[in-house]
Amino acid sequence: MNRRFILASIATLALANAGTLIMVAAPTAQKSGAKNAPNAASSAKPASASQATITVNGVGDIDPAKAFGSKNAPVIMEIYSDFQCPACKQLFITTTQRVTDNYVDTNKVYMVHRDFPLPMHAYSRVAASYSRAAAHIGKCEVVEQALFQNQERWEANGDVKGIVAAVLTPAEMKKVQELVDAKTYEPLIDKDKQIGQAIPVNQTPTMIIHTKDGQSYPVVGFVSYDVLKTLLDQLTK
Amino acid sequence: MLQSAPFNYRRIIIWVGRIVIAAFFIYAGLAKLIRWDMHQLPPLTLANFPFPWRESIPTSLFAAQIDSYQMVPPWVSLAIAHWLPWAEILLGALLLIGWQLRIWATIVTLIVGGFFTAVVRAYALHLDINCGCFAKPEPLTGWTVLRDGALFLLAVLMTVFAFQQARKPHPWSGPANPAT
Repeated sequence: MNRRFILASIATLALANAGTLIMVAAPTAQKSGAKNAPNAASSAKPASASQATITVNGVGDIDPAKAFGSKNAPVIMEIYSDFQCPACKQLFITTTQRVTDNYVDTNKVYMVHRDFPLPMHAYSRVAASYSRAAAHIGKCEVVEQALFQNQERWEANGDVKGIVAAVLTPAEMKKVQELVDAKTYEPLIDKDKQIGQAIPVNQTPTMIIHTKDGQSYPVVGFVSYDVLKTLLDQLTK
Repeated sequence: MLQSAPFNYRRIIIWVGRIVIAAFFIYAGLAKLIRWDMHQLPPLTLANFPFPWRESIPTSLFAAQIDSYQMVPPWVSLAIAHWLPWAEILLGALLLIGWQLRIWATIVTLIVGGFFTAVVRAYALHLDINCGCFAKPEPLTGWTVLRDGALFLLAVLMTVFAFQQARKPHPWSGPANPAT
């Protein structure tokens, strides 16, 4: 009798633990969803006209210089990345460029690049500053590409400026350098980071994919194009 | 008069293993199919019910989580995403039922071993990814490695003890011919 009682007690405790796990995990999951995140951090206004941001389908604080595609696209894809993160480089080179060709250029996806420089990377903030400044003179793609493709080089010596200068004309580089020195667009980088922290973005790269019906889907880490394609195909139907 | 079955530590571990691992598997399978972190209100819809091979948004999101481990090609990630949640629920139910326990316990142990290997590899490579264990966004940390390690140990013990117990006559069964 005692043995049966002990056995029944163990079974009851195990089931109770499983039940607790389910009860605790479900609300946590709802809280961690990114659905309301864009609105959560969008209350602060830009400091000046030069830092004007836009809102597209409820996704706020978008820097138009770092956004691509049609604002009427059925899907908005925010990509939080750090220029010094290897997985971000991999995502940019193998996945993002194909998404741009097949979904952004065909007006199916509006892609927003968000800067999320991690404190553990010594030069990622500097790279973000140059990238942002270059974006505002219309050279976003070429500078982002140069930074990611030469990541190992500038990561070793910190020469972000040299990498950027190599793909711009002297006049363009002078303008970019002025904007970087004046810290004109630093508030926009801070804003991106603030929005990411509110979601919360815990690692890079993180993609938040928004649909027109207000639903948001987080995709964390490197994802190959073929897998991302299956998701985008369903969301853009 | 009938006697209770001898209550030894092996039987306890088999029972605890069956219940705990079945709970984990059923919960994990349902979480991946339902993705209740995406819904604010019921009714909830199952991802690709009743056709596991169909594409669905939860399935694609789970495939993305598998893909982020960078262990298998994209088509394998997609195949796992389609079938694993259903397999988890089925195996969890079979563990609870206890029918052909050694077979299902072995399969479950291999699967949990696979999870553990993937998690340890991702942690060792400092891949900043989500675990994907219960579908919701959950960063892969040392705690994830510990939890999966404990689950794997429990699964191994459960399986080994299930085989050992099977070699012995069941304590409730009497001799084949009491007269002899």
